[in-house]
Amino acid sequence: MSAPPRTAALPRERVDLRCGFGPLTLPHPILAASGCFAYGQQFADFMDLRRLAGLSTKGISPKPRFGNPLPRICETASGMINSIGLENVGAEAFLRDKLPYLSAAGLSVWVNFFGEDFDGYVECARLLDAGRGHGIDVLEMNISCPNIKKGGIEFGTVPEVAHRLTKACVAATSLPIVVKLTPNVSDVVAMAQAVAEAGAAGVSLINTITAMAIDVRTRRPRIATTYGGLSGPAIKPVALRMVHQVHRALPQLPICGMGGILSGEDALEFIMAGASCVQVGTANFARPDASLRVLDELHALMAELGIATVAEVVGCVQPIEPETPWNPAAASAPDAEAGKR
Amino acid sequence: MPTQFEAQLVANRTLGGGYVVLEFSAPAGRLDGVVPGQFVMLRGAWGRELLNPRAFSVLWSEPDGRFAVMLKAYGRGTTRMVAMQPGDSMTVTGPLGRGFPPPGQGSVQLLVAGGVGLPPLHLQARVAVQAGHGRALELFYGGRNRDDLVLLDDFERWGIAVQCATEDGSVGARGFVTVPLRERLLQARRDGARVEVLSCGPTPMLRAVRALALELDVTAWLCLEEEMACGFGVCLGCAVPVHGERPYRYCCTDGPVFEARQVRW
Ligand SMILES: Cc1cc2nc3c(=O)[nH]c(=O)nc-3n(C[C@H](O)[C@H](O)[C@H](O)COP(=O)(O)OP(=O)(O)OC[C@H]3O[C@@H](n4cnc5c(N)ncnc54)[C@H](O)[C@@H]3O)c2cc1C
Ligand SMILES: Cc1cc2nc3c(=O)[nH]c(=O)nc-3n(C[C@H](O)[C@H](O)[C@H](O)COP(=O)(O)O)c2cc1C
Ligand code: FES
Repeated sequence: MSAPPRTAALPRERVDLRCGFGPLTLPHPILAASGCFAYGQQFADFMDLRRLAGLSTKGISPKPRFGNPLPRICETASGMINSIGLENVGAEAFLRDKLPYLSAAGLSVWVNFFGEDFDGYVECARLLDAGRGHGIDVLEMNISCPNIKKGGIEFGTVPEVAHRLTKACVAATSLPIVVKLTPNVSDVVAMAQAVAEAGAAGVSLINTITAMAIDVRTRRPRIATTYGGLSGPAIKPVALRMVHQVHRALPQLPICGMGGILSGEDALEFIMAGASCVQVGTANFARPDASLRVLDELHALMAELGIATVAEVVGCVQPIEPETPWNPAAASAPDAEAGKR
Repeated sequence: MPTQFEAQLVANRTLGGGYVVLEFSAPAGRLDGVVPGQFVMLRGAWGRELLNPRAFSVLWSEPDGRFAVMLKAYGRGTTRMVAMQPGDSMTVTGPLGRGFPPPGQGSVQLLVAGGVGLPPLHLQARVAVQAGHGRALELFYGGRNRDDLVLLDDFERWGIAVQCATEDGSVGARGFVTVPLRERLLQARRDGARVEVLSCGPTPMLRAVRALALELDVTAWLCLEEEMACGFGVCLGCAVPVHGERPYRYCCTDGPVFEARQVRW
């Protein structure tokens, strides 16, 4: 195995946490993830919101939506399954009632959005464009929600469809569009490439993984919609793999990484896999200030490892050095049996 | 305003029947003014395996920061909790939610409890007694057997009338708690007395209480349990089906106490 780079530790104040994400400059790489931070207000009781780099809102649709029947959530080993049903206040009420609070807090506001069909997506992008200059920095297009029925699956799984949809939404707004991809595909690189070519400013990776849990006593699924989306540390290894694959194939495409981040070390893994910034989701439920803990830990860890800037480690992970090829003809080591005698 | 803080276990008292009371010390003032029915989210040092905190009604709280919850081992979290030792710590978020209406507003409050649903009603009684409204309450307490009926001596000390029902008939009426409750509600109707029902317990019991309250046209407040991930209105996981302009409300922020008529069961 290759030796780790030996770098002297740095004092914390020498660590520069600033990072770039496409057209944006962020004070540090930690944002809160969609659906796990609502519209921000609830968190003000527990933390200083202004310390966050930004947040992605609950997914917004052109019209308000009521959610799914219950049960909507259940906890599983190192994770949870949810099927909330993309309940939200709708674009108009978001702009009127929620955005002013967020823009006053000075955060980078990423508005996660979706439509119930192709035109719904485009309409939503157009409606949200009104928030340009009023606090919205990014439109994060969710083409990956497993929890809506009407054709939603195709947007997230068929590269040509995702390409067309992205192109139409990019044309409908002058805000940067970051496409949030689903892990429920066999070739995530093809999806990333399709949306990048359609003008996406970056991708968010990953949304939840389609999953199920069963109550053996009642012989029913634990989620009313039978399947839901798995989040939390259980999905982190899958998320890291996808971030790494996309970054290797498309090194110029900014990636916002997420999936099971609970600690600074988790965040640094995503950054080393190729993410320019990360989002913290499920962790917010147990600890409303989870993102700030991740930030403080990342800061301390970068200092310990002698990493002066985020940019120098984005995608820095190197393959493990290959072994010396096996040569059966070469002198063999004394085998175990021989050693015993 | 809810906050998040650390609490240390001071005592783990066994009540019999598998029920325990966990008493914690915590920074002063955090749970001041807690309304019966309000809850806290508790999470121990559970590592990465159990992610989310669990909801517990506040059994009592003191201005010096001490508070208690009552529980029984149910699943993964509560099994760990009943085994906790003094000195162990938990992360607490609260107080959360909206509790029961206060006593002494002109109606007699009939408290209907079952199982781990006792704590909010126990606190309702404690608060009422402290405010001099002890006479405006009665307890209806149901369980499978004698072991399911805990903390009864507190109600006795407070001078609150108690009627019990057990499925095996070992204490009080045989059958469900709705048996003595129905009698009491019919009597109130004959007397023209104003009563309201406050209930917390297993969902089948709450459904039966709701049906009875609707049948006899009595106001009933139900303290509901839903799966919760956050407890403060963010995950939208704890939806409660309701009638009215929206199909769902949230157990953690709109409840956990709901008016029976509103609930879409
Ligand atoms: C507002 C509120 C107040 C509460 N107050 C108390 C209290 O004072 N004392 C107390 O003991 N408990 C109380 N509870 C319930 C307590 O939160 C649950 O018992 C607890 O979440 C179960 O955790 P666990 O880790 O033991 O079970 P888990 O391991 O999480 O549960 C195992 C499985 O059982 C199912 N399950 C979990 N809870 C329930 C349930 N209540 N009914 C049916 N199925 C369930 C879940 O689907 C889960 O997959 C309250 C709940 C709420 C919402
Ligand atoms: C309860 C819940 C609701 C979510 N809602 C949304 C949503 O509205 N839009 C979206 O793009 N992602 C949504 N997500 C996915 C998260 O933003 C995130 O991609 C995923 O949970 C992985 O990160 P985590 O493991 O840190 O939670 C939701 C996740 C959870 C747990
Ligand atoms: S428990 Fe998360 S919204 Fe109620």
